[in-house]
Amino acid sequence: MEAARLGISKLGGADTLCRGSDPVAARHFKVSSITFRGAVTAEDPRSVLRRWLEAETLLVVGRSIERADSLEKALGRARFVEDFLEEGYLVARLALARTPHARLKAVKCSPALRVSGVLRVLTHRDIPGENQVGYAIPDQPLLAEGKVRYYGEPVAVVVGRDPDAVNEAVDLIELEAEPLPTLLDPLEAMERRDVLVHDALDSNIAFRTRVRKGDVEEGFGKADVVVENTYRTHHQEHVYLEPEAALAIPDLENRITVLATIQYPHLGQKIVSRVLGLPASYVKVVAPYIGGGFGGKDDEGPLVAARAALAAYHLRRPVFLYYTREDSIQVHPKREAAVIRYKSGASRDGRLTAIEVTIVHDTGAYANRGPFILWRATMHSSGPYYVPNAKVDGYCVYTNKVPQGSFRGFGNPPVHFAVESQMDQLAEKLGMDPVEFRLINLLRPGNETLTGQVLESSVGIHEALRRLAASSGWRAKRQEYGQLRAGRFRRGIGVAVAWHGNSTSRGVPDWSNAYIHVARDGSVSVYTGIVEMGQGSPSSSHRQLVAEILGCPIDKIRIVFGTTDAPDSGATHASRGTSVGAIGIVVAAGRIRSRLESFLSEYYGVERDRVEMSRGQVFVDGEVRMSWEELVALAYSKGVDLSATGYFFLPKGTFNEEVGQGFAYPAFSFIAVVVEIEVDTCTGRVRVLEVHPALAIGKVVNPEAVKTQVEGAVLQGIGYALMERLVFSADGKIVNDNLTDYVIPTFHEVPAIRDAIFVEDLWEFGPFGAKGVGEMALIPMPAAIANAMSHALGARILELPATLERVYSIARQTCGG
Amino acid sequence: MYYRLPKIEYFRPKTLEEAVGLLEKVEGSKVIAGGTDILVDAKTSRVRVKALVDIGSIAELRGIEDLGGAIRIGAATKLQELLESSAVSENLPLLRAAVESMASWQIRNMATVGGNLCNASPAADTAPPLLAYDAELVVVGPGGSRTVPITKFFTGYRATALGRAEILKEIIVRKAEWTGWNYIKLGRRDGFTLSIVAVAVLARVRNGTVEDVRIALNSVAPTPVRAYGAEEMLRGREVSRGALERAAREVMDEVSPIDDVRSTAWFRREMSYRLTLDALTKALGAE
Repeated sequence: MEAARLGISKLGGADTLCRGSDPVAARHFKVSSITFRGAVTAEDPRSVLRRWLEAETLLVVGRSIERADSLEKALGRARFVEDFLEEGYLVARLALARTPHARLKAVKCSPALRVSGVLRVLTHRDIPGENQVGYAIPDQPLLAEGKVRYYGEPVAVVVGRDPDAVNEAVDLIELEAEPLPTLLDPLEAMERRDVLVHDALDSNIAFRTRVRKGDVEEGFGKADVVVENTYRTHHQEHVYLEPEAALAIPDLENRITVLATIQYPHLGQKIVSRVLGLPASYVKVVAPYIGGGFGGKDDEGPLVAARAALAAYHLRRPVFLYYTREDSIQVHPKREAAVIRYKSGASRDGRLTAIEVTIVHDTGAYANRGPFILWRATMHSSGPYYVPNAKVDGYCVYTNKVPQGSFRGFGNPPVHFAVESQMDQLAEKLGMDPVEFRLINLLRPGNETLTGQVLESSVGIHEALRRLAASSGWRAKRQEYGQLRAGRFRRGIGVAVAWHGNSTSRGVPDWSNAYIHVARDGSVSVYTGIVEMGQGSPSSSHRQLVAEILGCPIDKIRIVFGTTDAPDSGATHASRGTSVGAIGIVVAAGRIRSRLESFLSEYYGVERDRVEMSRGQVFVDGEVRMSWEELVALAYSKGVDLSATGYFFLPKGTFNEEVGQGFAYPAFSFIAVVVEIEVDTCTGRVRVLEVHPALAIGKVVNPEAVKTQVEGAVLQGIGYALMERLVFSADGKIVNDNLTDYVIPTFHEVPAIRDAIFVEDLWEFGPFGAKGVGEMALIPMPAAIANAMSHALGARILELPATLERVYSIARQTCGG
Repeated sequence: MYYRLPKIEYFRPKTLEEAVGLLEKVEGSKVIAGGTDILVDAKTSRVRVKALVDIGSIAELRGIEDLGGAIRIGAATKLQELLESSAVSENLPLLRAAVESMASWQIRNMATVGGNLCNASPAADTAPPLLAYDAELVVVGPGGSRTVPITKFFTGYRATALGRAEILKEIIVRKAEWTGWNYIKLGRRDGFTLSIVAVAVLARVRNGTVEDVRIALNSVAPTPVRAYGAEEMLRGREVSRGALERAAREVMDEVSPIDDVRSTAWFRREMSYRLTLDALTKALGAE
């Protein structure tokens, strides 16, 4: 892989950033606020969205309905990728590099090929299209070429008749390679120029971000208190129940269908077609039920699909590619390890005056989505507060480790750990209550964000925190636990707030789309590219939106999800399964509704507003006239088009990368959590006892689904804050690549999670005003736990995870252990 | 699918003699009981296995029996059976407490007590209580039957006193009058995990004097260990905070832990002190 072909000289330019899209496209579609708008009609997307945003009575949206997948999952009937494996299909596994950094001369395949049952070993030489899969920067091969850059990097796909043969052969793949010095520490890698992870660059810095707002010197000059610290966070592994897998089935004319554990089928289609050198129309990608994704299958999914497709392309037979748990942990990108230097100041009246922040991400061997993650972390680095003066610098730094990747929160959990730890320390120095101090600084409608974007509406965090403080008994508990700060077991209560931009950043194009078709019997098929990975949007909220709008019985609605046969609906990531992903569903359903209303108005000769469609019936002036099924049959016989797409392109603004100022996101979701803990100062054991959440996420479409998202994120946040940590050996190998040595919380660690407070701060473009929620509860958890620990111990943890050992060390210093 | 065992010859003998005969005859053969350790090791190639002799259907290796003066536990008895046995809960509460902290219900229904001992992990959870009880292990092999005290059973890292083709048949624990016991396991999470350190303490205290005490730990040395030095310091002494602290400090000096992904050696040493002190405090009624 030569440098010139990678176009690496373009690194760092704003135009290479286009989340989930390729840099070429980003260059063609320059960031701009000018978007094409069609004629305004009743079917105009904005009119449709506004109508349902303003709907006064809702019958289905806002209620907890049963998910469509509950029963089949409980009965074990739901099918995941592996369940589609048939007798006689070939199987494949990846051969991984067992060296962290080396010049690759050859992949020695012959011993593996001698294993009986092994049919083929595919390397970079066998790629008919482009061996280039970098999402943000074109720096990553599908199979190692020229160099190996991390221990565990895929170098070959071994295909055989059965797993025994393939498993045996994988271990026999050897590399002819010249070892190179290894960089594991991002701070060191940043300074080194003699060792380069990517030879075409003049440093190991893959990407930079910056914010320059106001005058920080002046801001700190006005500060009466200043707090400065360095925070460190660590790699987190996703541990989805289902490791990566893909089943590629070739059919006529070199067309290929790939079933994969993937969060964005259309992106998979694009990567597969690029690697195979086929038009996208020759590639179909389907995500059946997925056993958890959390972002990991957004990064790795298209690559698993492409590797399986490559094998099927060459062998002309169906191939099932699978990762073992160890393969999965070694190969796929992780939540970034971060080093964050944070200085912030406030005046005596409790107002923030300035922040100065440096964020360094351990990006690993390939940028993957690192630049997007760093961008998000940078532009959220103030927390949801008004900050007049800010200087923020961010760096993605290459090292010889597993790449940095997408993981629930996408750069925000580490940065919020820093911000919210700072906020507590500033409050302490000011002699203020942490909640009071936050309330003074929290964004309100009309305020300007860190990037100078004015948020006119949908900013409910102030109310959320006020109500949360009251309902959680914050003031009394804060006082009570504070006074009891003695003895072995100590209680603490901590608070943290967070914000998270919805949609892609800046002017990076983002859209929603769906196709709805009503059959003659009244059954409704909804086609969407949004996948079902357990989050529940296709299984619950999508059905609710359609049922509400069409007024048809909810059991008539079937969501065909996760397929490239549906219009490109964008990825199921960034909390967008409902918030952005379902806008297209609202528009398509709204269009059909509008046609049916026009038809009924004409049919009965009454004004449109006298016609009502709900509960599976048609009413005129409140009287039942016909059933949904009768309506559909009639509409078919009278020439009403009952198929519609719902394309919606999100309006965005401009952004100046030089100073990091401008339009960052179309909307923000907000959360506040209060966490109560108990610390055993003699062992360092931290128990999270209670979690009180409050969310400002616009319209809550399905409260039960939101509750499950909050619970899952809280627990994943507890794991990240207290116990989960990947350990690397001196040669960059992940030592704990199994579930014995990498521990995640179990039911024993589940705290009492109180019902969330909802502030429905509607977003004008969200479905019925909904914003995203999936990631939200994870983001403030590490900070809230750290703040509660500080309250309990009178000392602060600056490095995560707060393992028993670290907490014990801190407790021993301050409490005498 | 994802994990496949290499090709393994499999035998399921009905009698102990048959099993011993197979182990003697079949090269590279190993014993399988519940399989919760060896199957994982075989799948990940940590242990190379050519043949397995399944002792799960040998009747005399199963079951828990109250012999009057002692409790007999068949080596292939499932952990869940220990948990549900009244003989165990009445006579061996320390063992019960340790088993309760182990794995999940599903795994306890497969895993056996003998397997846990013969796997000889430094972190074996049934080892500290059985070490404290001074259990006797009855071993059967080509040369007949012999009894090995558990304190001589663990000979090194993942090594035992079992000779070629020998099988652990049963565990005998003599009843004794104990006035107190305590088991504490500290792991990275609350359950379903390997210990950072675990401590088992048995004690007989009369009129404020320690008549006898046993202290055993796991995960602090190449094998599960007894802390003889600390026991000796306490025997015959009056129960006092100072005596307990001195004993716990002695444990800290006796152990030889290592750094691994679960913990540093330093923290293990610190916790050997803390958990021993806590367990002694409870078992000796010094609260």
